[in-house]
Amino acid sequence: MSSEIAEEYLEAVYDLTLDGGTAKTNDIAERMRVSPASATEMVQRLSAEGYLSYERYKGANLTDKGEKVARRIKRKHRLVERFLVDVLGAKREEFHDEACRLEHVISDESERRICQMTNNPRFCPDGEPIPECEDGDCSMCRDRPSLPLMEMREGQSGEITHLRCEDAGRIKRLISMGFVPGRSVTLEERVPLGGPLLVRLQECRVALAKEYAELVMVQTGPAPGRQPRSKEKASG
Amino acid sequence: MEIGLIGQPNAGKSALFTKLTGIGAISSNYPGTTVEFQEGSVLRNGVRLNFHDLPGTYSLTGVTEDELVATRLLAERQLQVVVAVADATRLEQSLVLIFQLIELGFKVVVALNQMDVARKRCSLDARRLQEVLGVPVVPTVAITGEGVEQLVDVLVTSDYPISGFEVRYDRHIEALLRGLCVDPDCRTGKFPKRGALLKLLEGNQFFSEQFSNEFKWKAQEATAEFKQDHGEDIEVHIHRDRYGEAGRIANEVISNRVPPRRISERVSDATLRPQTGIPILVAVLGGIFLIIVFVGGFLEGALLSLYHRVVGDFFTELAEWIGGPLGQAIASGIDLSLQAILAIVIPYIMLFYLMLGLMEDTGYLPRVVVLLDGVMHRIGLHGRAVIPMIVGMGCNVPAILATRVLESKRERIILAIVIVIAVPCSAQTAVIIGTVGTFAGAIWAFGIYAILIAILLVLGRLLHKVLKFEPTSLAMEIPDLTMPHPRNVIWKTWSRTRDFFVVAFPILLIGSIVLEILMAYGVLQAFVEPLAPFTEGFLGLPPITIIALIFGILRKEMGLQLLVVLFGTADLSLVMTPEQLFIFALIMATYMPCLSALAVLSREFGWKDALKITLASVTIAFALGGLANALFQMF
Repeated sequence: MSSEIAEEYLEAVYDLTLDGGTAKTNDIAERMRVSPASATEMVQRLSAEGYLSYERYKGANLTDKGEKVARRIKRKHRLVERFLVDVLGAKREEFHDEACRLEHVISDESERRICQMTNNPRFCPDGEPIPECEDGDCSMCRDRPSLPLMEMREGQSGEITHLRCEDAGRIKRLISMGFVPGRSVTLEERVPLGGPLLVRLQECRVALAKEYAELVMVQTGPAPGRQPRSKEKASG
Repeated sequence: MEIGLIGQPNAGKSALFTKLTGIGAISSNYPGTTVEFQEGSVLRNGVRLNFHDLPGTYSLTGVTEDELVATRLLAERQLQVVVAVADATRLEQSLVLIFQLIELGFKVVVALNQMDVARKRCSLDARRLQEVLGVPVVPTVAITGEGVEQLVDVLVTSDYPISGFEVRYDRHIEALLRGLCVDPDCRTGKFPKRGALLKLLEGNQFFSEQFSNEFKWKAQEATAEFKQDHGEDIEVHIHRDRYGEAGRIANEVISNRVPPRRISERVSDATLRPQTGIPILVAVLGGIFLIIVFVGGFLEGALLSLYHRVVGDFFTELAEWIGGPLGQAIASGIDLSLQAILAIVIPYIMLFYLMLGLMEDTGYLPRVVVLLDGVMHRIGLHGRAVIPMIVGMGCNVPAILATRVLESKRERIILAIVIVIAVPCSAQTAVIIGTVGTFAGAIWAFGIYAILIAILLVLGRLLHKVLKFEPTSLAMEIPDLTMPHPRNVIWKTWSRTRDFFVVAFPILLIGSIVLEILMAYGVLQAFVEPLAPFTEGFLGLPPITIIALIFGILRKEMGLQLLVVLFGTADLSLVMTPEQLFIFALIMATYMPCLSALAVLSREFGWKDALKITLASVTIAFALGGLANALFQMF
């Protein structure tokens, strides 16, 4: 079975069961533009593989395993849309179909990068919510974590991903000092007795109090000594 | 022609200003702003160039006081040209500021400063930079004056267009700008719409005030929507794009980067790395203290003996000429004030400023701040508070002015209180050393310093609890260490000492004369008897010392000399017990600010707060004196 088709089915079930309920095979067939019989066959196969729980006459629901895959595909789809619109400037008519094709082929790594590039968006260009990545809170970046500057090791370098702060004054202070997403930072030294952190910010050297260092989120290089998380592949 | 000078801190803006205007720069202190800024003018080819030195600022976001003042001055002065002093060693950061100036429609000339340092690290194509930005770029080395002539020539000819350079922002931001631009409510006065709108979106307070409320709501809605969509504040995004652009330009014009690993760099590291930095810091601060005490003491003696030789009998004659006790009082009032200048201002304060200037110009001061920030935070203060506290060891007057390095008024008041009460100025040090140190032993003097440090710790914490204030956190750039330029340091020392002369000396003079008159007519002596229960009973001091304490209001170190006069002996140990000397010195050390300091306090914070600070310090001083006396009685 082509994983692409399986993914499309799971996506369809995901959409149909968003409001609670169960996905009827007839509805699934309509969405996939196939006959009810082929839809039923496919649903049964997916159910046998543990992606769906299917009860005859009632319909299909996603299992935890199936939901994971569906959410990720949905997430890739909407992230790609965001990317096409925000970065490439695609037109409204274009982006949806293209995203439909790309969602199946894009790697998890690229998904992560797009997510970062578009600043972890929460909605797609049509205003539909983008499912959060698995444990919420960007956990799939765990093997290359985005951590507060405060928690970096001395000598460690990385790239600023975002500023974790709601206070406008502090944000402005940080950005005017050059703590802006996309720039690279190195934590050089920590001054003892609760002193500031000495940070190399590209060409400048800055002393930054820990209150500020907590707010600057940095993606460091792959941390040595930490095993990359074994990735769960989508079906197929 | 009105020319603004703007640039990030440590870009060499002040040095360039000095070079552009020469020594004859007119310095002015503008009321209403906490940040000093200077004006100076120069005549060139029949064109008068008026330079306005704006406070150092990284960006025109308008968050710190400096940035706000800079934005306001940029907007309000009729500046024909803005010289952006860029730091060639930190080009990206400088570019971000230049972008904002161009966006706001200013005629910009870039002075690409610190070229000497930059040349050692990379090759920088100034011509290419000029092409990209579309504004004149003049490479300069402000401290040696290189390129300054060319800069002036460019300014005088002024035949360059307003740059058409634009930073390309994110599509959404561009769409937002386009949308807001065509809005009929979008009125931006003399500023280009694009630039003013960007400032509005960034939340610059000054520019927000220029728009109508309805329009601001529209913009607010749009920014909120942007945040929803992107999960990032629009001002962050705007800056992200600016830095992106700056990075691209920097890559284009800079080539052959060499990793900077020279001796000065290694020294730089050593002063910053905690393991080596803290011992160096202790040595530097200790050295400054010793230089002030010893060199200052030597200078004081030399200057005073010179003074006596020059003045001779002039004041005796003056007293006779005016006649009576009044003549005596006026003559000795003037005499004593002049002596104070020679005894305190020149030897201690000027010397202190000289060293402060050196610390600033070498770039060492930021290191002091960095290394002590943690400690300062524990007592509820910002790392930068170190600077005024060090200054306060010289004199409270400039120390109170120096509290301006802090961002909020609250922090400044806390710091001023701590300095007035717990940091002994050179006059107070003279009293401590001259009384207890000399006649009761070093241990007693150390005791007083220990108490002062304890007060410092308790007071700091207490105040920031009472005033419900969390100190703002440090975010400060650390420049590399550089060789200071003598002329610049001397100029700085002079202009700061002048501050003291202008503010403190008139008060000192009038105060001295008034006190002398009170003495001459026996008014002060009249206090001795009625206050005896307090002086003797509560503080355990000889009643007559109250006169010295009253005199301390005017000048602390005079308290010591007055004791000598009042008792008629130079050996105080004959007339006062070590305990009494200790109590006296303790009171003097924590006692109220002298009149000059009081004047500066009320100028900076208003007379109400100045009065409160005074009352607090007098209360603390007498409470401590009384407590010490009670303890001595008990044991």
